[in-house]
Amino acid sequence: MTETPRIALKGVTKRFGAETAVDAISLNIAAGEFCVLVGTSGCGKSTTLRMINRLIEHSDGEIHIDGQPIREIDPQRLRRRIGYAIQSTGLFPHWTVARNIALVPGLLKWPRARTLERVEELMTLLGLAPSEFADKYPAQLSGGQAQRVGVARALAADPEILLMDEPFGALDPITRESLQEELRRLQGRIRKTIVFVTHDMDEALKLADRLVVMRAGRIVQQGSPAELLAAPADEFVASLLGGRDRGLKRAALTPVARLMRPVDARLPMEPAVAPDEDLRLALSVMLWHRVETLAVVDGEGRACGSLHLSDLMGGGI
Amino acid sequence: MSAVAIWHRYGRGLAPLLWGAGLVGLLAWLPRAEGFFRWLAPGARVVIYPRDDFTALLLNHLALVGVASGLAILLGVGAALVVTRPWGRDFLPLASQLAAMGQTFPPVAVLALAVPSLGFGALPTVVALVLYGLLPILRNGLAGIEGIDPAVREAARGMGMSPGQVLWRLELPLAAPVMLAGIRTSVTVGIATAAIGSTIGAKTLGDPIIAGIVNGNSAYILQGALLIGVLALTLDSLFEALTPRRR
Repeated sequence: MTETPRIALKGVTKRFGAETAVDAISLNIAAGEFCVLVGTSGCGKSTTLRMINRLIEHSDGEIHIDGQPIREIDPQRLRRRIGYAIQSTGLFPHWTVARNIALVPGLLKWPRARTLERVEELMTLLGLAPSEFADKYPAQLSGGQAQRVGVARALAADPEILLMDEPFGALDPITRESLQEELRRLQGRIRKTIVFVTHDMDEALKLADRLVVMRAGRIVQQGSPAELLAAPADEFVASLLGGRDRGLKRAALTPVARLMRPVDARLPMEPAVAPDEDLRLALSVMLWHRVETLAVVDGEGRACGSLHLSDLMGGGI
Repeated sequence: MSAVAIWHRYGRGLAPLLWGAGLVGLLAWLPRAEGFFRWLAPGARVVIYPRDDFTALLLNHLALVGVASGLAILLGVGAALVVTRPWGRDFLPLASQLAAMGQTFPPVAVLALAVPSLGFGALPTVVALVLYGLLPILRNGLAGIEGIDPAVREAARGMGMSPGQVLWRLELPLAAPVMLAGIRTSVTVGIATAAIGSTIGAKTLGDPIIAGIVNGNSAYILQGALLIGVLALTLDSLFEALTPRRR
């Protein structure tokens, strides 16, 4: 492929005094790719992320954005064209939700009307009714709502690149899952280049186009979630991927539609799964109802296929 | 609207006006209150402090506090900002220690130390007031800026705000209530402390008090004390009215 990657890291190293936090890593991220950096605490994933918008300067190597070395770009200008969302949101407590979202457009001196329109658009996109939330202060929001505002703020000036540092790490499991779901849906529409840091492998598997596993400042393995699950490079990656739980994690990556057979009229409509649900869920439903075949029923309640346990076992996952 | 509701709504703005009116009223009443003070101090030959006009003393007192507080605010807020910049961080521990230490230092001791180096009169009083008033301002300035959630600053930087924008749009507005509280303490304490300046020859509302103590005239003491008290309350309520309400 001759296309310039959106973000390119070449032999990037970061030293803090005598300690090497990031050790000569190389990584190409294509435009529109959802890249998740995953690893245990202190593996250098956050440092790597923060080097991309120059919150931390790299000690060695080169980072290019659209082919241009970032050292040549004024840091403030660089950051204004890169969205940034963090775990604790960092919303300005003395500004309303609308004003928080309008931060970067304000820095870029967008005309007022355009900013207002964009703020409204983003709030709607992220499920925050403008009439209800625009004039609220961050202290009046729940954790999930505050994180939505954080994401909206990061997207406000329509940046090509979005950096997210464990944005859902502090949320309860239910809110976290629904926000992951929404982020995936959102990414389907906006196709940004996203670099996402997390230590939660389930989150990584769910979101990533490309998974980058880091350990002690180095990249241990990178590839699509399916590739990593199929062939983890070593024990460390395997254990991070859940060890013997890997079978289920892989099943969770495959939609029911992939293994669906034609409609079987003899099957009852209950129990059933939807074609866009994943095989892990299907397996759980089979286990619960003690059946080896399930009807596949679409959102309108029409049967559209059937699913057989033998196909799951036959290497379909 | 009931009286309570009116007070609830406009009280904060009204209080400094009421106290100010009280102060003016006091200035007008004191020279004519011979009867009251004669009853209070029957043994004294003169019962109204005669050496200076109360208004002149009040204005002088205010001028001393005004100059000293102005300097203290400039120095205190300035120092708090300098030691919280990346290039001034090295001095942060020193500034915090100074601010903490200053609170244990009685104002009279500052005055006593100022006299040998600066002599008598208004100058050593102003110096002592500045030194003493500086510390609550510095301490609250540091607390206000250091109290800002580091994630907020990180986000501001990550969004591409310049250091100046971070200072003006983030740090100062967020630190303002705490900073203002420090300035309020400093000015209020300054009003009281300035009176001690009378012991080293500055012209202040402390003059009648000192004269009263020396001559055993409780009427003089009460006149000075009343004026200082009402003046302090007026300014304090003014700060209360000016402090932005936190949500």
